[in-house]
This record gives sequence, structure tokens and C-alpha cells, in this order.
Amino acid sequence: MITSTTPPAADPQSRLRPARYGIALALAALVIVALIVSSILNYVFLDTIPGRTSLYGLLAVALITLGTFILVRTFNRDRAMRRKHLIRAGVLIGLGVLLWLLVIDVFLFTQSAGPGVAAICALACLPTTAFGLFVVRRMDRNHKEPWRLVLVAAAWGAIVATSLVVWGETIWEQSAQHALVPGPGLDTSLAFMAGILEELAKGLAVLMLFLIMRNEFDDVVDGIVYGAAVGLGFNFLESISYMTNLYSVFSAEGAGWVAAGIQWYGRQVLGLFFGHATYTAFIGAGVGIARQLPSVRQKVMAIVAGFIIAIAGHFAWDAWATIFPIQNTLFGLVEIHLRTLIMTGPFTAGVIALLIFGIRYEGQNLLDQMRKEAATASGAILPDEVPILASPWQRLRQRLQALSRQGLPGYFRVSRLQTAQLDLAMERWHRERKEIDTPLEAEQQLRDRVMQLRHWIAA
Amino acid sequence: MSSVTYDQLRTLYRTLLVFATVGVVILAVGLVEFAYFERPGEGSGVKAHIVGVYQFDPDTKQPVGPDRSEFHRTEEFAAVVDWSSIPSNMIVDARWYNSFGSIEGQVGPAAPTELADKSVIPVEVPSGLHYVLPGRYTFVVERLEDGVPVEVLGRRFVVVERS
Repeated sequence: MITSTTPPAADPQSRLRPARYGIALALAALVIVALIVSSILNYVFLDTIPGRTSLYGLLAVALITLGTFILVRTFNRDRAMRRKHLIRAGVLIGLGVLLWLLVIDVFLFTQSAGPGVAAICALACLPTTAFGLFVVRRMDRNHKEPWRLVLVAAAWGAIVATSLVVWGETIWEQSAQHALVPGPGLDTSLAFMAGILEELAKGLAVLMLFLIMRNEFDDVVDGIVYGAAVGLGFNFLESISYMTNLYSVFSAEGAGWVAAGIQWYGRQVLGLFFGHATYTAFIGAGVGIARQLPSVRQKVMAIVAGFIIAIAGHFAWDAWATIFPIQNTLFGLVEIHLRTLIMTGPFTAGVIALLIFGIRYEGQNLLDQMRKEAATASGAILPDEVPILASPWQRLRQRLQALSRQGLPGYFRVSRLQTAQLDLAMERWHRERKEIDTPLEAEQQLRDRVMQLRHWIAA
Repeated sequence: MSSVTYDQLRTLYRTLLVFATVGVVILAVGLVEFAYFERPGEGSGVKAHIVGVYQFDPDTKQPVGPDRSEFHRTEEFAAVVDWSSIPSNMIVDARWYNSFGSIEGQVGPAAPTELADKSVIPVEVPSGLHYVLPGRYTFVVERLEDGVPVEVLGRRFVVVERS
């Protein structure tokens, strides 16, 4: 009965899956080659501290890349293999992170400000970045992204993307400083450098998630969430870098902590959502819209458009923020906020507009699919449940009712049931739009899971 | 897929393309700005002779010791330029930039002959500070046109150590 009312498989013999995995592998290979080449060039020609860091840091980057790849693929495997791969990925990423932090501490932070200062700066940035990630994930009101992928996105932004740009920017900056006239021309060149290299490095993470984890990358809303998460990760490490650097510059004048504190406020409070998070969210929006577009030409256009807006927004801030003079008076504090609002505010407003529209678009379609599923009488979604599932507040109310009746276990059981039902609606939506490459059995498995959870709650 | 749904996605796509068009305009303005300050075909072939960068004695206003590329932050230092190495029909200046891109010492703009008695160009300590800030300093001798620096005739880099 169920099969007669379930939509047919959209494209059960899809050849997209291996093709996009191939693109992902090619991109990963390009990233690694770029890292190796820039590191060696840096080391041979510049012999700077970042140059040495790049060479010693290669192993750390390779470990993190491999570990990330294994981690995101782990959840596509069966339970027996999952644990083994999780441990493998955890060990690789852990080793990579430790090695990378060691390299950073020894060659960059320690040299400029000392490991103690670096640790304090990192601790200061941790709660604000965590708050940012929490808010960004909560923005997806209908179908939240798994924490593991949000954190993977942030980790890429913090570790891999920053590594890519440190080396690329060293070469660009050194070349520009040796060739250009200091002043506005050089500043413009460096603004192009930051916009292009940093957004490309961050955007690669969003693109990789899109190619490898298509099932967790549903639409424009997901793209904005992943993009903003990458931006927040990047902003985290960049904040530490700027704070420690300014501490070391001004500490001898007795103003080290003041300089670091101003940087913290500018980057972790005022610029938490306005800077990197906004720019990379545009890349995510482009990739997310491309996810649902029918033609390859439109997909490419959407992705390129996302990158262009991100690069332009980043460039505009770096090149023209100094147009707004900040007075050395109390009013200067107001001017600092106004500058951020005027320069980055329009871009953030653009992302919010896309997000709100995307949430409405997603919500309406999920509601439509839930109604259709309820009409099949499969039992996975009951007609009475549709209005509850369609409203985040009603879903919360239902979970809180379970909490008052059965405590935390009851809350989590209902939460899992709601998530499984929304997963089913999302799967149906993608299948109806012929933008999914999992077999029809996957949808039935989701339906079975909902029924299992329903029985579990009833028991 | 209903026509309403298709319109919604199309609206999102078109909104993104509109934003991207604005982005292209911003980047184009940036390129124009870059081209204005880095004018093509401005190479004169002239090289300014920077004699060296030396520790600076603020009492005698004279350089002391050997030519160096690294200084302690408590030391004052200055560049010495041989202005006679530049044709007299040019308008030039010399500037020190700190690692934040701020100008920390300057002579000119003027004809090289008018700068003959200003061959020593010291780095200035920023107001409110006791010493120069650590970091990488850039010294440039520039040729100007209509008040805009268009060519670097000579360049030196100096590192001021943190400790």
C-alpha cells in the first residue's frame, strides 16, 4: 500500500554521486598541492617565520584534511564500521590539531607574545565564537544541521583556511610591498588579496561539504549556516592572531592588554556576525541555491555569484573602511560602530534577507510534503502532527510537555521523532524535485525509523 | 513542483544575481582606484641612491654607526638619501611607513635640489609613545605627479625588534 502512494525514485541510477566525489577529490588534491607549493616557495625565497611554519605545518594540514574526510564519510557507513572510522578520524584530527597548534604557538604566537598570552586570547574568543555558532545553527528553524558538520565547517575555517591564506598572503604581500607605491594603491592591492584569497580558502570548505555531504546540504538555509560557521571559525583564529600581535607591539608601552581587548571587541563582538561570517554566508547561499537549481549553467552561475559577493564585501571593508575617520574622542566609540554598520551592514542585511526568504521557502515546502505524507496514511506523519511539525514553537511545546511528563529522556525521544519526521519530509521534497541521488529505499528507511521511534515513545 | 515553488527559487536565484552585480561594480571601482594610484607606464627608469639606514643621534641630528637593517625599539634610526642621484626636474619625497601603513617621518615633496640639506630622514616616535613601535618599516623615495606618488625610486626595509 505504501509503495503505491510513495513518489517513484527520482533518479535511482544517478551518476552524479561518483562525479561530485571526483570533483571533491580533485579540489582536495588542489588544496594540498597549493599548500605544498606555497610552503616550499615561502621557505626557499622568503625564509620568514610563516615560511618555516608552512613547511613544518604541512604534516598537520595533511592529517586534518585526511581526518576530516574520513569523519564526514563515517556517517554514511553502517554501524559496525562507523565506530572504527570515527576513532581513526578522531586520532588523525586530534594529532593534526595538536601539531598545528604546537607549530603556531612556537613559531608565531610564542615569538610575538608568548604562549600564556596566546592561551588567554584563545580563551577570550572561545565563548563568543561558540555563541556565534549556536546562533547560526539555530537560524535553521525547520531542519537544523548536525553539530558535527557545523563544527567541521568551523574547524576548516579556523585551521585549514587560515593555513592556506597565511602562505598565499605572505607571497602576495611581499611581492606587492616590493613592487607597488605605498599608500592607497598598495592598500587596494592588499584588500584584493584578502578578499580573493580568504574567501576562496573559506569557500572551499562550503563547496567540499556540498560535494561530499549532499544529504546534509539541503538548500539556501543550510548553505548560509555552513558558510557562516566557516567564517566564524576563520574569525576565531584571526582574532587570536591579531590580539597576540597587537599585544606584543604595545606591551612595552604598557598598553598590550588594551590593544588586545580592543581587537577582541572589534572582531569577537562588533564583527562577530558582520565580518567573515557574513561574507562566507554569501558563498554558502550561492552553493545552497545551486543545490536546487535544475541546470548546470545556473548552478555554476549561483556558486560564482556567491563568491563574487563575498569577495566584494570583504574587499570593500578592507579597502574603504579607513574612509570613515575615527576621532580620538568619546564620539569615536560611536563612529566605530557606525562604520561597521554602514560598511558591512548592507551585506549582512542581504544575507538575512536571503535567509528569511529561504526559511519561508523551505517551511512551505516541508509543510506541503508533510501533508502529502500524512495523506498516504503510512503512519509516519499523522494529520494531527502536521501543524505541530510545521511550527518550531509548537515543536518546542510538544518537547516541553514530554519533559514535564517523562523528564529529559522523554524530551530527547520526542526530539528524535520530530527530527526523523522532518528528515522524511525533506527527503520527499528533494525526491519530488529530482535533486536527490539516494535510492527510494532510503526514504522507506526513514519512514521505518519514524515508526520505530513512535513505538519506542509509546512503549 | 508547483509554479509557486519554482517562482520562489527563481526569486532567490535572481536576488543573488542582483547582489553579485553590485559585487562586480564594487570590484570594478576597486580596480579603477588601483589603476589611478598605480598608473601604468609611469616608470622613469630613475633609481634613487639610498646611502643606508643608520642609528640616529637626536642631539646631533646625525646618523651614527654602520648601515643596518635591524634595530632595537629603543633606538632611533634614520635613512640617508643622496638626492643628487635624482634628476632635478622631478618632484619627489621620502617617507617612512610603519607596519600598519602609517607615515612615521617624511621630507618633501619638493625638487631634489631643494632637499639637498635634508638628506637624513629619521623615523618619528608616534605621539603619546616612548619609542617607535616594533615591526617592519618601509622607507621609500617617491616621484610625485599632481601631488600623487606614482613611482618608487628607491626602497629599503627595516625591522624593529619587539624585545
